[in-house]
Amino acid sequence: MPVFRTVYRRPRESGGPGQTVAGSATLDSRLRGSESATGSALLEFRAVDTYYGDLHVLKSVDYRIAAGEIVCLLGGNASGKSTTMKAIMGSVVPRRGDIIYEGHSLGGVSTAERVRRGIAPVLEARRLFPRMTVWENLEMGAYTRRRGPEFDEDLARVFVLFPRVEERLHQLAGTLSGGEQQMVAIGRALMARPKLLCMDEPSMGLSPAYVEQVFDIIRTINRQGVTIFMVEQNANMALQVADRAYVLQTGQVVLSGAAAELRETELIRHAYLGELKLA
Amino acid sequence: MRSTRVTLPRDWTLGLFGRIPARMRTPLGIICLTAAALLFPLVNGSDADIDSAANALAFAALALGLNIVVGFAGLLDLGYAAFFAIGAYAYGVASSWQVQPEWSSFWEPFRWLDLVARYHQAGGDVVHFQVSFWLMLPIAAAIAAFFGVLFGAPTLRLKGDYLAIVTLGFGEIVPIVARNTPSITNGAMGLNGVAAPQLFGYDFGVNATPYYYVGVALVAFLILTSQRLKDSRIGRAWMAIREDEIAAATMGVDRVRFKLLAFAIGAAFAGATGTFYVAKLQTATPEMFMFPVSVMVLVMIVFGGIGSVWGVVVGALLLQILQSWFLEDLSEWLHAFGRLVHIDWLQRVQLASSIELIFGLILVLMMLYRREGLIPATRRVSGLSLEEQTAEIGRGGFDGLTAMAAWDRADSGPLLEISGLTVRFGGLVALRSVELSIPARAVVAVIGPNGSGKSTLFNAVTGLVPADGAEIRFAGHDIARLRPHEVLERGIARTFQNIRLFPNLTVVENIMIGMHARLAAGPVGALLRLPANRREEAAARERALEILSLFGNRLLPRADHLAGSLSYANRRRAEIARALASQPRLLLLDEPTAGMNPAETRELADQIQSLNRHGLTILLIEHKLDVVAMLANTVIVLDHGEKIAEGPPEVVRRAEEVIRAYLGRSAALASV
Amino acid sequence: MMSDYGVLLQQVVNGLSLGAMYALLALGFTLVYGIIELINFAHFNVFMISSFVGMWALELLGISGQSRVLTGLALAGALVFAFAVTMLAAGVLGVAIERLSLRPLRGVPGTAAMITTIGVSYILFNIILLTVGAGSENYPNPLPVVRWQFGEVMLELKQLLIWGVALALMVALHVFVSRTRLGKAMRATAQDAEAARMMGVDVDRVIVTAFFLGSALAGAAALIFGLYYNYTSFIIGYTAGLRAFTAAVLGGIGSIPGAMVGGLLIGLIETLGGQLIAVRWTDVIIFSILVLVLVFVPTGLFGRATPTKS
Repeated sequence: MPVFRTVYRRPRESGGPGQTVAGSATLDSRLRGSESATGSALLEFRAVDTYYGDLHVLKSVDYRIAAGEIVCLLGGNASGKSTTMKAIMGSVVPRRGDIIYEGHSLGGVSTAERVRRGIAPVLEARRLFPRMTVWENLEMGAYTRRRGPEFDEDLARVFVLFPRVEERLHQLAGTLSGGEQQMVAIGRALMARPKLLCMDEPSMGLSPAYVEQVFDIIRTINRQGVTIFMVEQNANMALQVADRAYVLQTGQVVLSGAAAELRETELIRHAYLGELKLA
Repeated sequence: MRSTRVTLPRDWTLGLFGRIPARMRTPLGIICLTAAALLFPLVNGSDADIDSAANALAFAALALGLNIVVGFAGLLDLGYAAFFAIGAYAYGVASSWQVQPEWSSFWEPFRWLDLVARYHQAGGDVVHFQVSFWLMLPIAAAIAAFFGVLFGAPTLRLKGDYLAIVTLGFGEIVPIVARNTPSITNGAMGLNGVAAPQLFGYDFGVNATPYYYVGVALVAFLILTSQRLKDSRIGRAWMAIREDEIAAATMGVDRVRFKLLAFAIGAAFAGATGTFYVAKLQTATPEMFMFPVSVMVLVMIVFGGIGSVWGVVVGALLLQILQSWFLEDLSEWLHAFGRLVHIDWLQRVQLASSIELIFGLILVLMMLYRREGLIPATRRVSGLSLEEQTAEIGRGGFDGLTAMAAWDRADSGPLLEISGLTVRFGGLVALRSVELSIPARAVVAVIGPNGSGKSTLFNAVTGLVPADGAEIRFAGHDIARLRPHEVLERGIARTFQNIRLFPNLTVVENIMIGMHARLAAGPVGALLRLPANRREEAAARERALEILSLFGNRLLPRADHLAGSLSYANRRRAEIARALASQPRLLLLDEPTAGMNPAETRELADQIQSLNRHGLTILLIEHKLDVVAMLANTVIVLDHGEKIAEGPPEVVRRAEEVIRAYLGRSAALASV
Repeated sequence: MMSDYGVLLQQVVNGLSLGAMYALLALGFTLVYGIIELINFAHFNVFMISSFVGMWALELLGISGQSRVLTGLALAGALVFAFAVTMLAAGVLGVAIERLSLRPLRGVPGTAAMITTIGVSYILFNIILLTVGAGSENYPNPLPVVRWQFGEVMLELKQLLIWGVALALMVALHVFVSRTRLGKAMRATAQDAEAARMMGVDVDRVIVTAFFLGSALAGAAALIFGLYYNYTSFIIGYTAGLRAFTAAVLGGIGSIPGAMVGGLLIGLIETLGGQLIAVRWTDVIIFSILVLVLVFVPTGLFGRATPTKS
């Protein structure tokens, strides 16, 4: 019986079920059982609370992303997806809870240091530097690194993934189409040689053809060993590419589990459309 | 055991002060102040001191004027001295021998009015201007006001720092023009022979005392004017513009009119002061009106407290006293000290000439450490009782909505009709040919994923965003090309997704700005405070409190708190209250329940429903679809700027296109 | 007797020399604006103080007045020393102003920071006025007076110096922002500070660098002023500053090529305006240009539309 968890979920003790509206224990454990118990966690959110002024945005949120996975973060408007990305990069500082990367807390770690440690962002709406060339944008991606053979390797890899990028290397980034910009944005992030790639809505504003390309590339990059944590509105596409998914609704994780299973249920739709059962 | 407590004399005076009832404190204070001001020349006989005091009063008047432009309306004017100059030269030319046109019959009626005189000269008869000082005061104010509008008009659309630079430009051009047109102004040498004022035959001459009293009267009048304007519809409109121009416009404030009014009144203050100052000095040179003077007045208001009427007066007086008395005395002490310790440099230092350095230091230090000034404009508020702090979640919505205007009772055709609405931002199409028809008394919800154009739709309806060639009809009238405040006047009010209250104004003031378009008081009425105006203000405040009371004890106990200090949910409620205050026929709510917990959401949903039941038509952007299901008759779904579905909530929710819009297309991807 | 055409041509040459100096001053101003969108009034009095520093540097070398003339290597050495000292001092002063009075205000919305720069400007201005006094100071000038005649137009060595220094500095700046890591970080920050931060850029360091470079350019312009006019005084921050400010606005505040072109244009307007209308009206002309550009074409010649702050 498909059900969904309400917003009144208590912070989850490890292994315990959250409160639900009607008995859903079966689905609960089924969904949670598919979480990676094996594989070390590359990134973890532990009971993270963030605020915007006095507005409680993320409410005791837990994520666990194992190395090598593609995990997507889904949810409707104003659910806290972008804030999650910002918290990982360090623009937003949690008021409570902890963000753990490679076993160490990211508390107090600067954005630049996080990039150096291997977290790179692909920003919402690309946000390339419009009056710098494609080449300069790629260079900026590698800002925290030294030039050298590794840099050249990564550049070559980017060119292989994105031949169009190489074609347009000396064009001003602002003159590229949306899809081309997205390629450059991903390439720019890859130039940081990241272990964890944080993508904020990679498919937004792209034509269906480009959306397919982007998701193809995500798979390829992942096969090359990059862990991917992806925020997406386009749940259907995201679930076809991801291993696991979390679903946010008004700042709380209301669903989590294997992408394959979430694809089948109606729960996603309920969560997306912000459906709320009140006492 | 000996008591170790020492009772200081201060305690005694504080005790005395505390025994005066609060109600009496302000009038008593004013009486004491007035008495001190009037008695001052009798107590201190030194003409030099009285002259310094008169100068100080002139600058206090300037500070009051600049306070209106910068402090009330938030327009940073760096060229304020230009208006000072204009008022000064106006009187200078009108009462000196500088300008002497040839006599002709044109001047006869003026001679009859005793404004000019005819003088015989070798080359022919000439006109000598001799306009009376008292007549010139309001005339110079009017001339300066005219220039205030002239210089202010180009700046209306500029943002803060660009506006400042343009006013700086004008402020510099005026004295340079004065210097370069010696035929009118006698250039750098200065206008001489300016006539001293005369009162009932008594000529003011060079004695400082009569000027001092004129100065006191001038400052008193300007304080009264400032205070009255501040506590009126005009002042509220200015402060709304200062806090958030866009929100002010959507709440009915005509930005152009009120910005120009601020420039005009501020300039008028300076114009009158210019006349006074020049009459006292009996000369006017361009150097008296250059950029340093504008900066000095700015430092005075920053020091005293931007926006606070008494604050800027105190700031001006203190800085002038500093310059003319204290620094002189301090220099004397330093000379003596220098003689004592045989330091040559100390014996020669002249602190008075370093006044500008001190001004610069004061400006920087105040900006860094106390931006609100000595006497801040915002008041302290009393704490809340425990009962006032806790609020119970109510259900069932509003009762007692009799304060609202007559709303649509009959189903009389569509209230809002939109067709062909396309909005472009550069190359991006935010809305594409949107069509919409909202019947009266309906609740229509607009939903859609991020970036689908929902807020843009609201912006187009309320005139914030141009609607290319669209037709937008409200109650039969075309409103597509109206400016935001005109849209509000027609009866459409809105709230904003990211809440745009006026943070440094109290909750009540925020609500009363919502009423701006429904009140009638103008600047003259505000100044004179006629019985009709006072009645209107009292009724307005009462109505505001009534609207606040609709929300139980969430807002009412906080009526005099600054809006910025409210919790997130309360700020949402206050914004809705402000929109309701404008007596709208159509209410546009942009994500009203965002950030609220389920119980608060349900409470607000009930309240919205009761508003609708009383006759208010509602257009609602909302993400929580059960709220939508509860409230809406019709749901409209936008995706990428286009309307992809329309219908009752239950139907829309299950529609293929809607689900696809939210969850995304599942393209034919090769499966993993 | 020069023909009208010759007079005009001479003024064009003079205007381009002045313009080069204004361009340097405007460049420094626009560099800072491009990154943090701040109108820094203090910039122009940093310029003024730097001219005094340059004067003292030259006096240190034993040069005073225009009587002591150097040539060849000695001249080059003296100039290099003077420029280095002046630019360094100016840069340090600019950074000090930023750290002490502007950094605490970062994030405060509205015009608070700009008002603070007015205060700082006042402080600098009055420090010089009170210590050195209101008179003009005779500027030490080791440059030999060499003139070349081209038809009706006369070219002086010091004009060549101005063009040379200005060109060299502009090229250096261009190389810095387009080839070096920190320079590209500056450009990135000016275009999207948040995204730059996400790339690991230390935005604070970028801001300090902008202030240092901008002020150093003002220092160079200041030394040029002294060598060109053979005097300096406390008021030059105001007079030259107005022109440089208008140049930056005319070219488009925040745009580097804009500042260069704007500077040259204003230099030409000043000399030709003074020639064709009257010198005492040049201030009004320049202020009018400032007002007209801001009101009708706020983005200037090369600038991009800055979004309205809501």
